[in-house]
Amino acid sequence: MTSSVLICDDSNMARKQVVRSLPSHWPVEVQTAKNGIEALEVLRNQAVDVLFLDLTMPELDGLGVLQKIKEEGITCSVFVISADVQPAMQAKVLELGATAFLRKPVEGEVLMDELQVHGFL
Amino acid sequence: MTAFNLNEDQQDCLQELINVAMGQASDQLARYLDTFVHLRVPSIEQVSTTSLSNSLNKEQQSVAVVSQGFLGYEGIRGEALLVYQHKDSDCIGNILGYEPDELSVEEQLIDLSSILTTTFLNVFALQIDNQMSYNAPRLLSSGQDALAVYLQQLSFNCDMALKVKITYQVTDYSFNCDMILLIPESAITNIKAVIDRILADY
Repeated sequence: MTSSVLICDDSNMARKQVVRSLPSHWPVEVQTAKNGIEALEVLRNQAVDVLFLDLTMPELDGLGVLQKIKEEGITCSVFVISADVQPAMQAKVLELGATAFLRKPVEGEVLMDELQVHGFL
Repeated sequence: MTAFNLNEDQQDCLQELINVAMGQASDQLARYLDTFVHLRVPSIEQVSTTSLSNSLNKEQQSVAVVSQGFLGYEGIRGEALLVYQHKDSDCIGNILGYEPDELSVEEQLIDLSSILTTTFLNVFALQIDNQMSYNAPRLLSSGQDALAVYLQQLSFNCDMALKVKITYQVTDYSFNCDMILLIPESAITNIKAVIDRILADY
């Protein structure tokens, strides 16, 4: 079964980095968003299985997106991929309902492990 | 037309390399201060060193500047300046948790700057398969035109600088510092070559 994936990051390179870190044997349909507002628009209008979410972004940041997802009862697993690796930040995103925290730049093996742990592979 | 003109993809790539480096430097700062550091999207712009030293000189009464040179492979080198507002540097002892006579404000500023600069640049270098070495950090004297003189004395002739303004905002205190990377034009050309190599992979 194909999973629906949304990648939200303000950096074009970072979005590509995630795309190419996805396990090649994972059947996915990938969409991208450049900021939190764009991501929420997608999330409100269609079912997304996995959201890969950056934190430090203009417009609406990653924490804002996590809050909205919670408030609006959107069901989707959020893997935060961020350069802000402070333990306090990692704890905060998990508290806000994120499934996992991954540090930037994301590595294919780490991503695969996390997807496996959370039952996506 | 200068070597600085980065196209959209190059700018985006550099920004992302800087984001990652900034994140790790903030993490170090947070651990060092035992607090949380709020991160903002860093700004990258090109400035002339003349306008930079003019603007810093104008505020020279209100800022303290710590400078540290760095040198990597492939002709990547420059000078990292950390600019503190005096209102911040005065309370730095409290923030760092030092007893009043333990370490001078100058030594504390140099300490903190070195942590931020080397963490930032080590992570930056790691991402581009490079490795940096550093000069000893020094606090620039705040005398008349001290900064302009210092910039002139630098071993490279640097007309333009890449100003990466990173604001490390500590939530528990009102403390901000800006990091400015001065990179000579020749080194920018080298960084561009590295960026193009990374981009070619995508």
